[in-house]
Amino acid sequence: MIAQLLLTAMLFTILLYASMTYRQAPIIGFLTVLAAFWGLYFVWFPSHATRLAELVGISRGVDLILYTWVVISLIMLLNLHLKLRSQLELITLLARKIAIADAARSWPSPSEGLRKS
Amino acid sequence: MEVRSSPNVWVVMAAYNEARVIADVVADVRTTGHRVVVVDDGSKDSTADVATGAGAIVIKHPINLGQGAGLQTGLDFAVVQGADVIVTFDADGQHRASDIAGLLDALARHGADFALGSRFLGSSVNLPPSRRILLRAATWFTRATTGLDITDSHNGLRAMTRRGASRIHLRQNRMAHASEILHQIATSGLKYVETPVTIHYSAYSLAKGQTLFDALLIILDLFARRLHR
Repeated sequence: MIAQLLLTAMLFTILLYASMTYRQAPIIGFLTVLAAFWGLYFVWFPSHATRLAELVGISRGVDLILYTWVVISLIMLLNLHLKLRSQLELITLLARKIAIADAARSWPSPSEGLRKS
Repeated sequence: MEVRSSPNVWVVMAAYNEARVIADVVADVRTTGHRVVVVDDGSKDSTADVATGAGAIVIKHPINLGQGAGLQTGLDFAVVQGADVIVTFDADGQHRASDIAGLLDALARHGADFALGSRFLGSSVNLPPSRRILLRAATWFTRATTGLDITDSHNGLRAMTRRGASRIHLRQNRMAHASEILHQIATSGLKYVETPVTIHYSAYSLAKGQTLFDALLIILDLFARRLHR
């Protein structure tokens, strides 16, 4: 029972994380919610997990729950990667602004003054 | 879009560690009489100084971001400077400056906003068979995903009107920008034409070119881009 409560608390934290992710990466958010509900179901109905595990060739239900955790971890890893990409896009915009501002000092745009030839 | 009879043409190149060849490339393009912008993408060598010496306007990225990021910086700068037409040109010396006239002519003649260079309508010198297969596969993939009727999807030599350039917002910093630009051309609904060009492969440009592994990374990049906003 203690393990079930602990796992439930962790899975609810993941659901919270998924809802925060949803706005930036809807697909990742959706997959995380799906995996978390999948996990919750098996935590509270372990006999179903065992039956399904046997059906798909995994010997124990607890292994199926572990696999679910692995899937959740991979999805969260993918999400971290996407966040890094978003950060890089922001860095790119910043670097571009700096580069163009530097160049514009020696080459002002037509609206800022006379152009050099 | 109507292109003026003598448009204000800017040629944009993204360069990273190209000090060995950039002077010749800039000098060659300068013979056309157009302005040349080199975006030095955080090079560790003297690319920026050499390009400036050869007569280019140089914009320096403070850090290395990738060719796609460099081209977008060059496009933004040229648009702000009042360019009527912007040509993108590879900095590694595999394009011919004499092909620029054909691109500009195609824009004017067809009233198009994009003129895309095609080595398969024109010619390629020293193109290895493996690279030919890779390029053909990339073109097939791009045709299937964008619906564009093109023969060469990864050709960096292209011209676009000011209106066309303002519809391009590259977010793929690295090699996947070539596919992204075609996606954006397709979604813009603006007119495009293909123009024959010649690509001259040298040992130098081949060493900098893409491999099968790069092609897989490009596909992953394009996929990852669709997963987030």
